Amino acid sequence: MNAIEIRNLSKRFGDKRAVRGLNLTVPQGAIYGFIGENGSGKSTTEKMICGLIHENSGSIRLFGRDHTDPDVRARVGVLIESPGCFPNLSVWNNMMIQATNLGVKNPEKEIARVLKTVRMEGAASNKFRNCSLGMKQRIGIAFALLGNPALLILDEPINGLDADGMRIMREVLTDITQNDGCTVLISSHILGELEKIATHYGFIRKGQMIREMTAQELEKSCRTYIALKTGDMARTERLLSRRFTRVEADEGGSLRVYDLVPPQEIVRFLYENGILTRDLRSAKIGLEEYYIDLMREKEDR
Amino acid sequence: MARTKGNQFPSHSFSRRLNSMLRVDARRMFATPLFWVCLGVSFAIPILVLVMTGMVGGAADGLMFTNTWQIIESSGGGMMAAMGGALSGGDAAAAEAEMDMTGMMNINLMYFLIGVFLCLFTAEDFRSGYAKNLFTVRARKTDYVASKTIIGVIAGALFLLAFFLGGVFGGSVAGLSFDLGDAGIRGLVMCMLAKIFLSAVFVSIFLLMSVFAKGRSWMSICLSLFGGMLLFMMIPMLTPLNSGVGNVGMCLVGGAIFAAAIGAVSNAVLKKTSLVG
Repeated sequence: MNAIEIRNLSKRFGDKRAVRGLNLTVPQGAIYGFIGENGSGKSTTEKMICGLIHENSGSIRLFGRDHTDPDVRARVGVLIESPGCFPNLSVWNNMMIQATNLGVKNPEKEIARVLKTVRMEGAASNKFRNCSLGMKQRIGIAFALLGNPALLILDEPINGLDADGMRIMREVLTDITQNDGCTVLISSHILGELEKIATHYGFIRKGQMIREMTAQELEKSCRTYIALKTGDMARTERLLSRRFTRVEADEGGSLRVYDLVPPQEIVRFLYENGILTRDLRSAKIGLEEYYIDLMREKEDR
Repeated sequence: MARTKGNQFPSHSFSRRLNSMLRVDARRMFATPLFWVCLGVSFAIPILVLVMTGMVGGAADGLMFTNTWQIIESSGGGMMAAMGGALSGGDAAAAEAEMDMTGMMNINLMYFLIGVFLCLFTAEDFRSGYAKNLFTVRARKTDYVASKTIIGVIAGALFLLAFFLGGVFGGSVAGLSFDLGDAGIRGLVMCMLAKIFLSAVFVSIFLLMSVFAKGRSWMSICLSLFGGMLLFMMIPMLTPLNSGVGNVGMCLVGGAIFAAAIGAVSNAVLKKTSLVG
């Protein structure tokens, strides 16, 4: 049984089709990175899963049950946009309200536990309106963790977090998936962070799922390349472009050769043309580059 | 507490969910300054009206309260008479004479105050994101409508009682008569009960306007005052000072039917519209 199973989901806002026949499968225990450009339909899909907006067609099942089932909803933790808190109430009182709504037994203990998890014990008595953006994000995560959720849905949770906050977030998500069997659906534009924790990925474009894969499959799909520098980069690029099928300059001022050739062959070729290779390394493209490539590929079609 | 793990999804019945939500709403209501301001206003209005009209008005020109219970009875029906007179083409002067203080400034104003309170209270749910939190967890839209209706009726009952107490206090300060005439204490109690039960009709209308307008409190207040005005005329007819069990029963049943029917519409509005911006 999958934690989330979405089939043929569609949502229209007036003339605009925000989500078009989307299929998405999140296995239990996964950290699912939901990736797409702005306006691709990520947030709309997440809001439909949470029951905040209503789908025009399609089905959403959580743990094999309809997503509106209150029993299953009680074990879904959500952080979408910002945590919904009363600005004039303290963090503690806001959390108490949420714990009561969730029917959490022994709420004081549970609130103390989740605040400790996100290292916000000291802010419990602060009024919510006085909290910084980063604090509000952490409080939002604490909100989502209340009641020991079986599924967490997090929309851009890393936004506004400092380095320490990001590290805490990684630790929390890894811990709850590994120790509590929780499943996480997380969308973020900070792909470098996502790459560190995600076990599964879904790439969405213009409201359609264009690819779903595991982290292992991504690893295999990520092409290797050889990055090099020489004393005459312009001539080197001309020469390499004539000889190899794909050569690109990167932001660091290096040239990348994506063809599957041994590095020695490139060095020898350049040497024969009177160019000495200064710096050469072999590397693999990351999630961010894979995503950009994938989007470019779909754009070209 | 034994933490629920894995794929266990304990049952969350309607009564359990409603109970939780009512506890939260009650706690919020009693913690918000708005509620205490409204309660204070409910208590102060009759005192100001009874004392000040006694000071500036005269019994002869019909602007003055002569009996404390006139502010509760609200049967002068100034607006009704005025409208009736205008509609029937009768003597305009006679109708105007009926537009006296007892017909305009009475306990029925509290229904509008309930509307203002409920609209602001509900708008805060949507503005703060509390409604979003609520519906992303186990709450159903029905729970929300039921909880808000009950809380609205409780708040309304408290405002009406505060007005009643203010009236008694104001009447004694102004030195007005407390003669209940034929109505008696029983009639007065029945009148108040009928008014409290009748508030369910207004609360359900105000709630519908609030869930339609969501975070835009100005819109929900305008719509509520307009919607409430349409039914305002029926209050004096249904809740006279000499009310009996029949009046109370009618208001109770009517309130329940209206709350259920309009609540269903509110539920549909919540289901069909986006709960986030």
